Amino acid sequence: MPMSRASSMIRHTATWIVRAIRLTAASRLATALKPTAASRLATGMPLAAAARLKMAATLTACVLTAGLLTACGDASAPDEDHLGPLVPRLVILCSLPEGNMVNYEMAQEFAEELGRIGVTMEVRPTDFAVLINTLYGEDMDYDAYTLGWSGRVERLDPDMFIHSINHSSNAVAGGNNTCRYANPAFDVLADAQRREMDPLARRKIVWEAQRLLSEDVPRITLYARANVQAYNHERFTNLISIPGEGLFNEWTPMLMEPLTDTHTVPIVASNINLTSLNPFNARSAYDWRNLRLIYDKLARLSPEHEPRPWAAAAWELVSDTIIDVELRPDMTFHDGQPVTVDDIVWSYQAWMDLPESYFASFTHPIATVEATGDLTVRFALHEPYAPFVTTTLAQIPILPRHIWEHVGDITQYANEHPVGSGPFRFVRFRTGQELVTERFDEYFEPASVDGYIFKIYASPEGVLTDLELANADLISYDLIPAHINQIKANEGGRYSHLRVTEAQDIGFFYLGMNNNRPPFDHRAFRIAAAHLVDYDYAVDVLLNGYGSRGGGGLVINAANEFWHNPDVPLYDTYHPERARQILQDAGFAWDRRGRLRLPAE
Amino acid sequence: MAVFVAKRLATMILMLLLVATMIFLMFRTMPGDPTASMVDPSIPREARQALLERYGLHESLWTQYRIFMADLVRLDFGSSYFYNRPVLEVIGERLPATLILMFAAMLFAYALGVLGGAWMAWNRGTWREAAGITFSLIFRSAPTFWVGLMAVMLFAVTLGWFPAQGMRTTGYTGDTFREVFVSLDFLRHLILPAAVAGLYFLATPLLIMRNSMLEVMSEDYIEMARAKGLREIRILYKHAARNALLPVVTAGALFIGAAIGGQVLIEVVFSWPGLGREIVQAVTRSDYPLAQGIFIIISALVMSMNLAADIVYGLLDPRITYH
Repeated sequence: MPMSRASSMIRHTATWIVRAIRLTAASRLATALKPTAASRLATGMPLAAAARLKMAATLTACVLTAGLLTACGDASAPDEDHLGPLVPRLVILCSLPEGNMVNYEMAQEFAEELGRIGVTMEVRPTDFAVLINTLYGEDMDYDAYTLGWSGRVERLDPDMFIHSINHSSNAVAGGNNTCRYANPAFDVLADAQRREMDPLARRKIVWEAQRLLSEDVPRITLYARANVQAYNHERFTNLISIPGEGLFNEWTPMLMEPLTDTHTVPIVASNINLTSLNPFNARSAYDWRNLRLIYDKLARLSPEHEPRPWAAAAWELVSDTIIDVELRPDMTFHDGQPVTVDDIVWSYQAWMDLPESYFASFTHPIATVEATGDLTVRFALHEPYAPFVTTTLAQIPILPRHIWEHVGDITQYANEHPVGSGPFRFVRFRTGQELVTERFDEYFEPASVDGYIFKIYASPEGVLTDLELANADLISYDLIPAHINQIKANEGGRYSHLRVTEAQDIGFFYLGMNNNRPPFDHRAFRIAAAHLVDYDYAVDVLLNGYGSRGGGGLVINAANEFWHNPDVPLYDTYHPERARQILQDAGFAWDRRGRLRLPAE
Repeated sequence: MAVFVAKRLATMILMLLLVATMIFLMFRTMPGDPTASMVDPSIPREARQALLERYGLHESLWTQYRIFMADLVRLDFGSSYFYNRPVLEVIGERLPATLILMFAAMLFAYALGVLGGAWMAWNRGTWREAAGITFSLIFRSAPTFWVGLMAVMLFAVTLGWFPAQGMRTTGYTGDTFREVFVSLDFLRHLILPAAVAGLYFLATPLLIMRNSMLEVMSEDYIEMARAKGLREIRILYKHAARNALLPVVTAGALFIGAAIGGQVLIEVVFSWPGLGREIVQAVTRSDYPLAQGIFIIISALVMSMNLAADIVYGLLDPRITYH
């Protein structure tokens, strides 16, 4: 490097530092001079005087700033006047590496790629609770972030991923549309799919909505994980793995068959403790995975994701907002009491009366529920709500009214011994240790196993050890890549009795962009950004191949066969040159120092 | 003596209230609010607000503090946000497992430490002493989770001597304390984690005992005992060791605070259903009442152990009296 160039660089840097200090000092001065409302009241200073002082302070700051800028100024060099303003300095809030390593790495990569096209982005690893507070907080003060939506079974219905997280009515503080995406044309589709009760017609609308999302790229989906799990195939057979849920779904315990006479109660390994046995208190998906086997539901989603009448014998759409459900006759609770329409009405009403329940968004559309016969219940909705059968009927547990109406505050009840009408009867629960169940013989489709035990471990290593020692029979969460490789390598035949299953997750992890803020308010910038993500790196390297690729605006992925639009995403290749081209075509430009500038007005 | 204990108890209560205040403030300055970990992000905003109000988190810090302290002096620790159950119930379910494991580890470490430390001092300058020091320091410096994993691999997986995980065999019956903890099955599950934790704690009593023994051994009365022609073993344990015990007892009293924290990893490695993991999770979930309750109880334990140590002093060394 020539001497003169080096010294000019040093001078440049020095000027910048001095400028930064002066600017900060000037703005500090202005703030210091700004009297607060409290001090104004205390001193009894007239408001006008206060305002004048404030104005003087602001003016001083402005003059100082302007003077400094002209003195040092290359920010607006004469030959770059035609360029638009600089792309502001950006911050991406990402997962802590110990929270989600892949998200953390992808955020780092993305910031580096932006650096290469002349945009400064700081990566700020953020605690999950803080991140959620920022995204759902009043100020909506953020540029970009990484997060994920887990693939719960109720999210197989497209409403969550189409309406809830993209509709402009949810782009307000506290709403789920944390990308603040707003497109009136999209809103029309999102509302329409919710009202269309015919699945095929609804799918058409959902596909159209997905196409719009992939054109607009409100967020960049980075990857989806695969649910890789394992079970002991020498002891049990007929286990199925379902997208989004893996092996411990609601069907496997009902369908799996023991291969030996001595071991007929499968041990399901978990590394997450259960929170509560009270359905009104249950917080984690793992609580529900057990509770829905103890409590029954009117409908269950088949392994192919189709709603199937279950505790209901049938249902009938009387109109777009009236649904009649006919109950299956002769069902009993585990304590021998019959299941009646009164139990159904009581259960649904209880959920409807709890505004902050886990199922609030599913019971919200219900206006009334009433018994219209010995075995029929009529639901009236506020407005047509297409997910009613797939989510509401398939989620709300049926509780025995004869027990619950006497417990006082239902949310405070410990429910130490749950009594339901589901395929498994509760035996005992020891916190941090195990939940023991047995088969309910009077169930209309009794399970083949004699019960199941949900065993709680403290670490994945512990689970792997007990899988190896055949102390556990199947796992209820996703194996970490190191353990998948270990089982597959099967050194010394230690894992020969295990079979590894793989299902794609319907949830996804994504890079969120605040569509209200420059530069992400420019659609072209978001599309360009979608070309700066290396989707293959995420799956092949960071996930060891156990996952599927993302893409711009992809919300319903191929694992959700029925609802996924096979023509999306449109932008899912890593191609930095094309990103530059897209920016240039949209009027973005680079100044002499290579910094990206927004299109001039 | 009684006056001394009463005085100490009064100071202890005062100290506890101070500690409670500090703990209260610490959790309130932590970033993030508890609703983030309690409700799913997809739940409406009003629901989050309702939760904040239900837990009184919308009140001013001062009001929250007043309510917290008023409840505390009535021994009411409130309800866990996350479990929605009384804190004492949540802790009560977990505390026995942790305490039993801790005292088992302590018994292991202090029995071996005291006897071994005395023996090492007696064998001063020999290879035996060097071997003892090296042995204890290896386990002191090795990460406990690693030692734990190795122990599981060797003794549970390869040799099959002990169960690998948990506190009881899966599907066991029994509900009362006796049925759960007083059984051979429990003992079999206890040995491995207690030994691993004990090995980790071993260095402290072993080295303190050795040092204090060396001091005692230069005292005249040891010389005297020798001159009387007493047997070596009798001099070692009856005359020297008893007098060398005091510093070890002090260390033992302070041990309990460190042990509950230090035991978290052991509990994770062995899936021991104790308080350890609950502490970590209560903090990360911003479950203020539960975290506060746990920390206050740990502080109370440490303080009572200190008091116990002071009393034991008197029993060990009649020269110490209380005023």
